[in-house]
Amino acid sequence: MASAQLLGGSSPVQHLTVVELAQTPAGEQTGKFVADLGARVVKVEPPGGVASRHVGPFVRGQEDVDHSLEFWTYNSSKSSQVVDATQVEDRAAFAALLAEAQILVVEDRAWLSELGVDLDELLEQRPDLIVVAVTPFGLTGPWQDYRTSDLVALAAGGLLNSCGYDDHSIPPIRPGGNQGFQLGASFSWCALLLALIERQRTGLGQLVDISLHESNAVSCELANPYWFYPKAIVQRQTCRHAQPEPTQSALFECGDGNYVYFALILSEQKAWSTLLAWMVDLDMAADLTDPAYQDIAYRQQEFSHVQELIEVFCLVQDADTVYHEGQRRGLPIGRLNAFEDLPNDVHLQERGFFVDLPTPEGDAVTYPGLPYRFSSFETTPGRPPSLGEGDHE
Amino acid sequence: MTQNTFSGSPANEATTPVADPSRGPRPRSGPLAGVKIADFCWMGVGAVATRLLADFGADVIKIENRKRLDTPRRLPIYKGEVRSYGAEEANPDPNKGGLFNNYSRNKLGVTVDMGDPRGRELVHDLIEHCGIVTENFAPGVMEKWNLTYPELREIRDDVIFARMSGYGHSGPQAHYRSYGPVVQAVSGLSFNSGLPGREPSGWGLSYMDNQAAYYNSAGLMLAIYQRMLTGQGTEVDVSAVEAGIGLLGSDLLDTVVNDRPSRRPDYPRGNRLEHPDAAPHGVYPASGEDQWIAIAVFSDDDWKSLQVAMGDPAWAGEPRFATAADRVAHHDELDVLLAGWTRDQGKHDLMEKLQRAGIAAGAVQNAQDLAEHDPQIAARGTFFELDHPVIGPALFEGFPGQLGTSRPDHWRSAPLLGEDNDFVFGELLGRDADTLAQLAAEGVI
Repeated sequence: MASAQLLGGSSPVQHLTVVELAQTPAGEQTGKFVADLGARVVKVEPPGGVASRHVGPFVRGQEDVDHSLEFWTYNSSKSSQVVDATQVEDRAAFAALLAEAQILVVEDRAWLSELGVDLDELLEQRPDLIVVAVTPFGLTGPWQDYRTSDLVALAAGGLLNSCGYDDHSIPPIRPGGNQGFQLGASFSWCALLLALIERQRTGLGQLVDISLHESNAVSCELANPYWFYPKAIVQRQTCRHAQPEPTQSALFECGDGNYVYFALILSEQKAWSTLLAWMVDLDMAADLTDPAYQDIAYRQQEFSHVQELIEVFCLVQDADTVYHEGQRRGLPIGRLNAFEDLPNDVHLQERGFFVDLPTPEGDAVTYPGLPYRFSSFETTPGRPPSLGEGDHE
Repeated sequence: MTQNTFSGSPANEATTPVADPSRGPRPRSGPLAGVKIADFCWMGVGAVATRLLADFGADVIKIENRKRLDTPRRLPIYKGEVRSYGAEEANPDPNKGGLFNNYSRNKLGVTVDMGDPRGRELVHDLIEHCGIVTENFAPGVMEKWNLTYPELREIRDDVIFARMSGYGHSGPQAHYRSYGPVVQAVSGLSFNSGLPGREPSGWGLSYMDNQAAYYNSAGLMLAIYQRMLTGQGTEVDVSAVEAGIGLLGSDLLDTVVNDRPSRRPDYPRGNRLEHPDAAPHGVYPASGEDQWIAIAVFSDDDWKSLQVAMGDPAWAGEPRFATAADRVAHHDELDVLLAGWTRDQGKHDLMEKLQRAGIAAGAVQNAQDLAEHDPQIAARGTFFELDHPVIGPALFEGFPGQLGTSRPDHWRSAPLLGEDNDFVFGELLGRDADTLAQLAAEGVI
C-alpha cells in the first residue's frame, strides 16, 4: 500500500475515498493534500500513465513511468488504477469506483466524458458528491477554453509582472516550482474543505469550479491594492517587492558566493541601531558611527553610501554567519538557501520535517513532510504508486 | 440584526466615525456560519488566512491594540496618493489603509490592551465564547499572556488553536524573525528563480504571505471539520518555511534524491524549461513600453500551429527548428526571431490570436489589466466592490472560483479601529454600557 501512515490520533479525512483525474500539479497537488493526511486517493490513469509520469527529472536517470520525480513530487500517498476509456469493462470499473467515492478531483471535463461520465448528469445523480474541478481558466467565461501552462498562468494572472530584474530590458522572470499551478491547488484544497464542512451540515455535495487564472490574479499581494487605491502599477525589482518606485537592493552577496536577503528600512531606528552595533563589533562601521546618522533624514540622504558599506560588511563574511548572527541580534535576515542546504538545516532536522519516503524498490529517499502539525493526529506521506498497482485493490 | 452603537467616549473619538447601521453585525451565511474565531492575526499572512473563513461566513473577531497599529493600517496604500510603503506617515489614519481594507474585509474588529488585566479578562471571555483562537505573533507573545494550548484548553476543552509562524513553534530557530521575503529566501524559493549566471531575481512580492496563508486556512478548516466529526479540538502549528519547501517542486528532489547540485552554472533556468522539452518557451516583447507576452510551445503540433499563426515565415521552416530537441538546442536564436514577430503587436491581441490557434499564451498582465481589461475576471466576477466609511467604494480580490452552494458572504469592508467593541464586548460578552464607557475612557479597549 502506498497510502499515508497514520502515526497517532484519527485523521478527519481517513474515511474518505477520493477519485483523482489529474496530470498537472494543480489537480495532483490537490489530491496529494488529502492523501498525505490519510484519505484513500485513487489516481485514475490511462494505459501508459498520466502525462506527469513521462516528465523528468527521473530517479537516477531511470526514464520510466515509475521513476519520474515530477510524478513523485505531487503523487505521494495515492494508489493508481489504470482505466482504458476504450474498454467497456474498464469504464464500468471506473463507474463502480466513482460510486464508492465521496470526492472527485478533475482537471479536464473531456477526459471524464471519455470515461463515460457527463459532469452535469453526475452532479444530478450524486447530490452528495463533491466535485473539485481545477482548470486553467474555470468552467465558464470567454476564456474557458484557453490553454495554460505554469508560465502562462503566472503571466495572465499578473504575478509574473512583479517578478524579475531591475533591468527592464530583461523580460519578467518566472519563479520556479510550478507556482502558477500551486496557487490553484491551494484554493482547490481550501474549497474542498469548505465543501466537506458544508456537506457535514447539509448532507449535500457540490461542484467546486476553481480557476488557475483567478487563483493567480488574487495572489499578487500588493499589486492589486496599489491599483485599486492609488491607481499605481508596481514595477518589478530584483529579488524584492515590486513597488511604484525603485527602492534600494535587499540582496547582498557574501564572501562564500551565497546571498542573503536583508531589507534595511532606514526609518526603523531599532534595526538601524542593531545593525550599527553589529558593524562596530566587526570594526566595519566606518563613518556610520558619526552622530549625524542617528537622524533618519540624513540616513536616507546618504543611503547609497550606507548601502555600499553593508555590501562590504556582507562580503567579508559568509552567508551562514550573516544569517544566523543577524537573526541572533534580532534582524529579519534570510539566507538564500540552495536545495542541498535544506536537509542539513539543524532547525528542520530537529522538527523532523524531511521524511524517509519509501520507494517502489523498497529503499527510501529524502522527501518534504507536511507543512502543518496537529496535536490531535499525525500522518506521514506514503510512497507514490507504481502505475496500476492499485488495479486489484 | 444588531444595531451598531458606539460609546462616543473621548478615547474613541479620533478613530470611530459615525455609526452606520448598514455596517452592523448580522447573522452570516455560508458553510462556516456559526463558526466564531478570536483572531489575534495581524500583518499579511495571518490576516489573509482568516479572511477566507470570514468570506465564507465565520465570525472572525479581529483583536487589535490601539497602541501598536497593525502594519497594514499604517502602510500608505491610499486612494489618490502614490507612495511606496516604507514611506508611511508617523501618525497615519488607521482607517485609511487600502491594504488593511483588503486583508480584513468581512471581519469584526475590537481593540484590547492586553497589558491591562481587564483587557485580558475580556479576551479570556471572548476565547470561551468563540472556541477558536488564531495568531501569527513572534513566538513568546501568546506565552507571555498565558495563552498556550494547555492554558486555552482550561478555558475550553475543545478549543482550536491555530498558530502561524515563519519557522514553526519548535526547533532552535523557532524564534527567528521572518516575513514573506525571509521565508522565501530560507525555503529555497528565492534561490530557484532567476537567469543562469546572475544573481537570483527571486520574488517581487511576499508570495509566502499568501501561500502560507492559504495553508493556514486549510489547517484551520481541517481542525474545524475534525471538531465537527469528533468534538475534539487541536493545536495547529504551520511553518511558512516548511510550506515553502513543499512548493519547490521536482527540482528539490533532483537535488536530494539524485544528488544533482542546485548550485550549478545552468541553474536556475529563467523562463526556460528543462523538463519537458519545450521551445519556444519564454516571455517575449509586445508593443508598448515594458509590455510582454508569455508563449509556451510543448509539442510539434503546437509549433506547427505557431508557424501558421505567424504566417509561415521562412525562418520557422528551417531544419534547425524542426523537432523539439532542435528547437531547444537553438533556443537563443529562436527567441530572437520570435521576439521579432511579437514586438510590434499588442499583448492582448496576440494572446487572443495565439489562444485561438490553440497555443498556450498569456499577456503579462498588470493589476490594471486584471481589473479593467480581463474579460474572464469580469465575467467570473472575481473582483467585487464594497463601500467603506473612510475610504469609500473599493475593489477587492474575491475567491478564485465558483462553488455550487458554498457562496461567499461579503457583508462589510474592513472594520474601523475598534468598530465592533460595543457589539462584541456588550452584546456578545454581556458587559454593560457604563463598564464599556469606562474601559474605553481608560484605554483598555
